[in-house]
Amino acid sequence: MPTTKKNVLITGVTSSIGRNLTQHLIQNPRVGFILGLGRDKLPYYFKDLDRSRFLYRNCNILKYRELKNLFLSRVFKDCAIDTVVHLAFHNRQMHGKDVHLLNVHGTKNLIEACIGTGTVTKFVFKSSDSVYKLRPSNPVFLDEHAELNHDPEADQWIKDRVDADMICRAYMDSKTMRIVILRMASIFGRNIGGQYNSYFDSKIVFRTMGFNPMINLLHMKDVIRAIELAIFKNVKGIYNIAGKDTAPLATFADLNHSFCLGLPEPLLGPLNWATRALGLTRYYYEVDRQRQKYTGLLDIAKARRELGFEPEGHIEF
Amino acid sequence: MKQHQRRTALKLAKSLLPAEEFKRVMSLKINDTGFGYDPFGLEKETAVLGFALAWQLYHYWFRVQSSGQEHLPEGGRVLYVPNHSGVLPFDGMMIAVDLVSRSAQPRLVRGMVDHFMGFLPFVNTFFYRAGQVVGARRNFVDLLERDEAVIVFPEGAKGTGKRWHNRYRLLRFNVGFVELALQYRAPIVPVAVIGAEEQAPMLHNLKPLAKLMGFPYFPITPFFPWLGPFGMLPLPVRYHLYYGKPIDFYRDYPPETVKDPATVRMLADKVQLAVQGLVDEGLRRRTSIFDFTGE
Repeated sequence: MPTTKKNVLITGVTSSIGRNLTQHLIQNPRVGFILGLGRDKLPYYFKDLDRSRFLYRNCNILKYRELKNLFLSRVFKDCAIDTVVHLAFHNRQMHGKDVHLLNVHGTKNLIEACIGTGTVTKFVFKSSDSVYKLRPSNPVFLDEHAELNHDPEADQWIKDRVDADMICRAYMDSKTMRIVILRMASIFGRNIGGQYNSYFDSKIVFRTMGFNPMINLLHMKDVIRAIELAIFKNVKGIYNIAGKDTAPLATFADLNHSFCLGLPEPLLGPLNWATRALGLTRYYYEVDRQRQKYTGLLDIAKARRELGFEPEGHIEF
Repeated sequence: MKQHQRRTALKLAKSLLPAEEFKRVMSLKINDTGFGYDPFGLEKETAVLGFALAWQLYHYWFRVQSSGQEHLPEGGRVLYVPNHSGVLPFDGMMIAVDLVSRSAQPRLVRGMVDHFMGFLPFVNTFFYRAGQVVGARRNFVDLLERDEAVIVFPEGAKGTGKRWHNRYRLLRFNVGFVELALQYRAPIVPVAVIGAEEQAPMLHNLKPLAKLMGFPYFPITPFFPWLGPFGMLPLPVRYHLYYGKPIDFYRDYPPETVKDPATVRMLADKVQLAVQGLVDEGLRRRTSIFDFTGE
């Protein structure tokens, strides 16, 4: 491992991952400075952090000029930021142009601005396992070369993730910056957004009748560990990141003490729409239509080999 | 399955099996991820119950006789390569039961099933829980890397759809299994299944209907579709299984051989000849198709 300190910029620092990552990295003596970007006021949980090592800035990454100004600012130069971790993504199942702009154009703006500085040498992007296409003919384990979901009928939530992932891949050959894409399995835990958190939040969960695919859940500890390894290891490329716990969907529902009811597939969409409209769930079925039926576990052999990543955290319900 | 369902499944299996068989099947080990399943979805209790149900067919319906167990490797990765026939794939099921029931070291054999199985509600879950895996190359590799015993039908789904006049004439083997056997240094055990061709004599294949329904074939047999779903019941023929000597291509051919399609083809043909030889020998030895006498 290199001994030089890393100065890290984190976008989406107020997200649950951003918050946990910041609080973890600040303890790491190999991290010199952390510059957090968000769109809200300085949250209370960052107020106790050492100001000599952490700074929070408001910045809209959609505004290229604003981003450029930040990168040309004295703060940025004084901090000597050399690593960017991009976490600014709409996690809630919202639709529309604004969401798409942040998810896709925000990523593009940021990556171009980073390359433009010439001083940022590492760009870490947190992607998702939902970028992979799931079919019954899939192998159980999907490696980084597995087919992506380019289905034009796919939900915007998936399309945005695929687009952002593809944008990062398009810049992978950059000579000045190493890009690392971490495609993560569903993260599960307290105070975390995400599909399976919303799914298991309910006391009654619905699944596609006649199907019970194997799923993998990722602990926040492993998410932070994977990003940390991506920051410090001299690597670039795409890595799948999965957790320690793999079981059928219904088994996780049982462990969560949720009542799991199988229903015919055509009923699930309208039922989910109705329960969302009544405020009974935040789970968005359309995103998981295929994942409710077909298994697609992430093969983490490459992450093991090159990043030294090994999942450790067990999911607690 | 929930804990109480697992206990019920084991109780049911125990009631269906002789004590010795139950002991043998319970001695099988799975690569448990911590929740009672392996990553491919195998659940021991479902596999045991599946075995108990299949054993009824094995013992009472098909009255399977087998020989050549002395050739079977006791551990490590291995490919079982049989002929394929019978409209419905009971042949794979009977081999899987035989390998648990009559081999010196009971082994769970993983079958590679057709993609369309994944579409079928309930069926897909039962198959995965019982240890079957979708026939994707990557799954095959993962199983071999985990030193599993894998059964592969190189004739493909077309094998079970052979017409009556082509019975016991093997279709040309696909070559994928040879490539993987070379790459992963796995022995190939040729297996002959005698009896399956007669369990549902296929007189005709209604191809347009099969295409419409997304099936590999639509069989017309003396009983199907005339008797409805009952027409799919196999006839109580006697099955004979013959295991040949393992073929260790990897000893003579390096893994780079997979880059030479002609050699790979030739090796696949060799395996086909070995299986065909066992089939012909089995047919010569057979005295009766149904043979209700003796064990």
